[in-house]
Amino acid sequence: MKVRVPRPGFPYSAPTTPRGVEPLPEEPRWGQDYDTDWARRTPARYARFFIVEGPMRAAVRALASPTRRGQDRLDAVRGPVIFAANHHSHLDTPLLLTSLPDRWRHKVVIAAAADYFFTNRYTSAASALAMGAFPIERKTVSRRSADQAAALINEGWSLLIFPEGGRSPDGWGQGHRGGAAYLASRTGVPVVPIHLEGTGRIFAKGDKKPRPGNTTVTFGAPLVSGEGESSTRFAARIEAAVAALADEARTDWWSARRRAHAGATPSLVGPETTSWRRAWALGDRRSRSKRKRPAWPDLG
Amino acid sequence: MAHRPGFVLEVDRSTPPTLFHHGEGFKLEKLPVGSRIIYPSESLPTLKDPDGAIRHALLNPVDKDPLPSLLFPGMKLTIAFDDISLPLPKMRRPDIRQRVIEAVLDMAAEAGVDDVHLIAALALHRRMTEAELRHAVGDRVYDAFAPRGLLYNHDAEDPEGMAFLGETEKGEEVEINKRAAESDLLVYVNINLVSMDGGWKSTATGLASYRSLRHHHNVHTMQHSKSFMDQHRSELHSSNWRMGEVLKKSGVKVFQIETTLNNDTFPSPFDFLQKREWDWTAKDRATFLAVSKTLDRTPARIKRSIFQSIEAPHDMTGVNAGDVEAVHKLTTAKVFEQQLVQVEGQTDVLTMGLPYICPYNVHSIMNPILVACLGLGYFFNLYRGKSPVREGGVLIMSHPTPWEFHPVHHPSYIDFFDQVLSQTTDPVEIEKTYEKQFAEDEWYRHLYRTSYAYHGVHPFYMWYWCAHALQHLGGVIIVGGDPKAVRRLGFKPASTLRDALEMAEDVVGRNPSITHLHNPPLLVAEVK
Amino acid sequence: MKALVFERSLARFAAAKVAGALAPGRGAGPGPLRLKDVDVPARDGWHRVRPRLAGICGSDLSTIDGASSRYFEPIVSFPFVPGHEIVGDLDDGTRVVVEPVLHCAIRGIAPVCDHCAAGQTNRCERVAFGHLEPGLQTGFCEDTGGGWSTAMLAHDLQLHRVPDDFTDEMAVMVEPTACGVHAAASVTEEHVVVLGAGTIGLCVVAALQSPSGSGSGKHDKTVVVAAAKHPIQRGLATELGATVHTPDELEGVIRRRTHSMLIGDQLTGGADCVVDCIGSSQSLQQALRIVAPGGTIYVVGMPATVNLDLTGLWHREVRIQGTYAYTHEEFERAFDVVRAKDLGRLVSATYPLDRWKDAIRHAAEAGRRGAVKIAFDLRNEKERERL
Repeated sequence: MKVRVPRPGFPYSAPTTPRGVEPLPEEPRWGQDYDTDWARRTPARYARFFIVEGPMRAAVRALASPTRRGQDRLDAVRGPVIFAANHHSHLDTPLLLTSLPDRWRHKVVIAAAADYFFTNRYTSAASALAMGAFPIERKTVSRRSADQAAALINEGWSLLIFPEGGRSPDGWGQGHRGGAAYLASRTGVPVVPIHLEGTGRIFAKGDKKPRPGNTTVTFGAPLVSGEGESSTRFAARIEAAVAALADEARTDWWSARRRAHAGATPSLVGPETTSWRRAWALGDRRSRSKRKRPAWPDLG
Repeated sequence: MAHRPGFVLEVDRSTPPTLFHHGEGFKLEKLPVGSRIIYPSESLPTLKDPDGAIRHALLNPVDKDPLPSLLFPGMKLTIAFDDISLPLPKMRRPDIRQRVIEAVLDMAAEAGVDDVHLIAALALHRRMTEAELRHAVGDRVYDAFAPRGLLYNHDAEDPEGMAFLGETEKGEEVEINKRAAESDLLVYVNINLVSMDGGWKSTATGLASYRSLRHHHNVHTMQHSKSFMDQHRSELHSSNWRMGEVLKKSGVKVFQIETTLNNDTFPSPFDFLQKREWDWTAKDRATFLAVSKTLDRTPARIKRSIFQSIEAPHDMTGVNAGDVEAVHKLTTAKVFEQQLVQVEGQTDVLTMGLPYICPYNVHSIMNPILVACLGLGYFFNLYRGKSPVREGGVLIMSHPTPWEFHPVHHPSYIDFFDQVLSQTTDPVEIEKTYEKQFAEDEWYRHLYRTSYAYHGVHPFYMWYWCAHALQHLGGVIIVGGDPKAVRRLGFKPASTLRDALEMAEDVVGRNPSITHLHNPPLLVAEVK
Repeated sequence: MKALVFERSLARFAAAKVAGALAPGRGAGPGPLRLKDVDVPARDGWHRVRPRLAGICGSDLSTIDGASSRYFEPIVSFPFVPGHEIVGDLDDGTRVVVEPVLHCAIRGIAPVCDHCAAGQTNRCERVAFGHLEPGLQTGFCEDTGGGWSTAMLAHDLQLHRVPDDFTDEMAVMVEPTACGVHAAASVTEEHVVVLGAGTIGLCVVAALQSPSGSGSGKHDKTVVVAAAKHPIQRGLATELGATVHTPDELEGVIRRRTHSMLIGDQLTGGADCVVDCIGSSQSLQQALRIVAPGGTIYVVGMPATVNLDLTGLWHREVRIQGTYAYTHEEFERAFDVVRAKDLGRLVSATYPLDRWKDAIRHAAEAGRRGAVKIAFDLRNEKERERL
């Protein structure tokens, strides 16, 4: 005899929709509308604390052996700020999260591309939990995202943003978008420019496997939007500050300051030429060669 | 809390026991009823935006053109800065020197100045290590200049590196660092912890050689500086100012930047050390007990490394830039505003607790000679007008005074203690018989130039620093010190403060008046 | 008669070595030295001497502690009565000091060896031959007896009449002073460093600082730096005219005086001449550190077996020279030095023979206990008068 166990029906399973009835339009639950509030409540913050200080820090140390410089420039800064960094790799976010001074490390949210990190339920939850990410559009920031970011800053959360809008495709930087500058002007908090050196060599866009290497995180002096300064000009100032930090990380502070004052800071964006010439001009900055860089500094 | 000025407390029956510093530790002592305690002033309000204040000072200097207008492409710029002897204890990063030097360099970069040297103006002190230089000027400046040999320690024994500039009207030879002397502009970055620092002493002493220093670092000068903290009555000051005239005449252009600090000397958990005893909270008392009980059971080496790692939460109370003399007037006024305490009349017995640090044992060992120098040289001279202790009075200091020397930092001190103080403690005799031998000793010279040793003649200066006190006092007693070391110094050892006070009565008579200098944080007693 | 006798007994030697290694002077208890009743010695043509004071010397102590070298075995003869720093009475009542070296002439060897012929009796080649039993000095020879007894024998050539102005204490110091005179006579250098300020060290300082020390007065201007460990030694050395420092300070002092540099512990320059009056591995090693290239180390203290790194000796062409005892002429000069420097004061304490263990303990710890020379006082021994 064959016993049939009946499948439990409604209300034990979802109701079926009767024919002829127009169902309510399904609300988009991820992408840029993903609600990350839960990730800023206490239990999630504790979880994030342990993720950041535990596996994330260990992984960063193993992969990126970071040198962190210039934190002293932030000594006088209190309250929320916007961190604006250049972007070469998925490693950038963990590297930054573990590098921020204590005051901000566990009270920071990350503006992450909605079309990449918030594509489904699982990536959305993981991004929000591990990185404290919230979704934002790459191209033009929508009013809703901007409001949300401003509200978070006003609540005392700091914001980490990559104004280039995405990882570098070829090792050169990309022009800054205005999001960071706009939010800073709107909320009045300072922008801290940060330059990350070396993550592109370890795990660039398109790489299959990370290759451990050395990185340098250089914090710059905080910038405040001037009275009546347009956010475009402020964005340019932030971009220049990051470029000057890049110069400082590659040479030294004094040379970088002199070039900065002379308007001769090397561009982060690179020459506008054919792709091979751009790659050529990059030198060994993107090289994944195993050959060690010379131990002696080039003293010029 | 608004800052409360320093004052003199008369001890009565309800006065809690008084804190005495005692090397790497502290003691609470009950002073006899009727004794007086001079308390330092609490910290002055500090600058809210130090970097802004520094920039403002550089752009609006006193009696000088703004710094940017003194900078031009192709010029020779030298930035000299105070060494590790300032401030005490070393301050939390970023050090003031870093802030000022970065501001100056940023202006120099803007003006397109290429030829910049940075020199630690350490006179005959030991050279600063890489870590110490990094702490003082910051990693950015260090990494930019030190690898190219553009950031270095002053070397007073480099025959090629010194420039003779002439003599003062009193025949004092002036010889300073050649690079500094030949620069188009010499920017001096100073930290003014006590009123003796700064002014022409920065350049005329900090960048000078033995040939030049011996004219004011001698017994005569020190015995005629009453005290050397009071520029109007200090022969040391006058001599440096005469040398300053020579510097000016020979065309050395100095842009002086002087900074002043508040009295925040001790970080948590040691911050109770700068509170008045009756203000101690339950937490302070618990910390005091825990700390002192722990220290009692801690080996000396570990205690030393704990204390030497203290970084003071000093903040800037002022920054002035411009002409040396004009700036120094403003600076000393600010220093006195923080440190001056009015005291009525002199006392028979002056007591003080000596802390673990003096200008010459940063990251090092406070040897007996430095103990003498801190007590008789520095603390005794913290007065304006008259000394707080009467002539022929007794000074009681509390310090463990171990017979211990840092072999790398203080090699000539060891020989001075063994070979000179064992024969005589009279500064005049010591100066006459031994100074030249030590000053010209090839080995000390070698260590000073290539290792991290104080110059051969430096222990003599420590002893000369005591000369005024030795002449003034009727006796010196050290409480809780190694008796053999204390006797070698020519002082009397006592095991407790009570014993010391009894011993003092033999010198000054029965029922003496007693005053305690509640120091540090620093204070300068103005005695009427 | 009573005498302290040193006998050949392997078991006791071993016991003394163990005890002596624990603490200096402890070898006296279990060791081969015993207070015994022995026959009064007699020998044709020799004088009987009844000791008044007999000093305890460093070499005696190392023998008692079993620490002296096997080298001595063939040049001593058992059983012997120790004691070679002797002032005593002849039977006619003359006070004499005994010059203990037993050289050819005393041993009846003729012709005498070349050294003896040249007057350098301290270098005699025949100390184990002739009609006497082997023994480099009185106090190590079976036939002569020694100072630590109530009677002994001495040859005519060994006797020095004691001047009337000499106390017994001064007289007993003549023998050690003669060692100092001999060392001082070897020294020709300007800057002299004396290591150690026990009896021998002080005697060397005294000889160096007194015109009669070397006969010619050539050491008048010699700079003497003495390394003295104990306060009593420092006081006496200073009084005798040395600049005194502790052994720890010595490197620093010599470095500064000679304007040297330092390479590790080694001075690049150093003292022209170091007189080591201790003779230990440490003192010799220190001497090597502070002696100038081409300089000389005189070893006055008996060194026994030492462990030395001689690389510096090789590299810096340093000489180490022994100085042993004295010649007859130097012994005579020692009287003047004792008188000029009042060396009788170095005798800090005396003991009767019965308290010999205390005496030896005291001598072994002399510096620490504020003493220099310890001697046996035999003047009050009862049997002395009966003999």
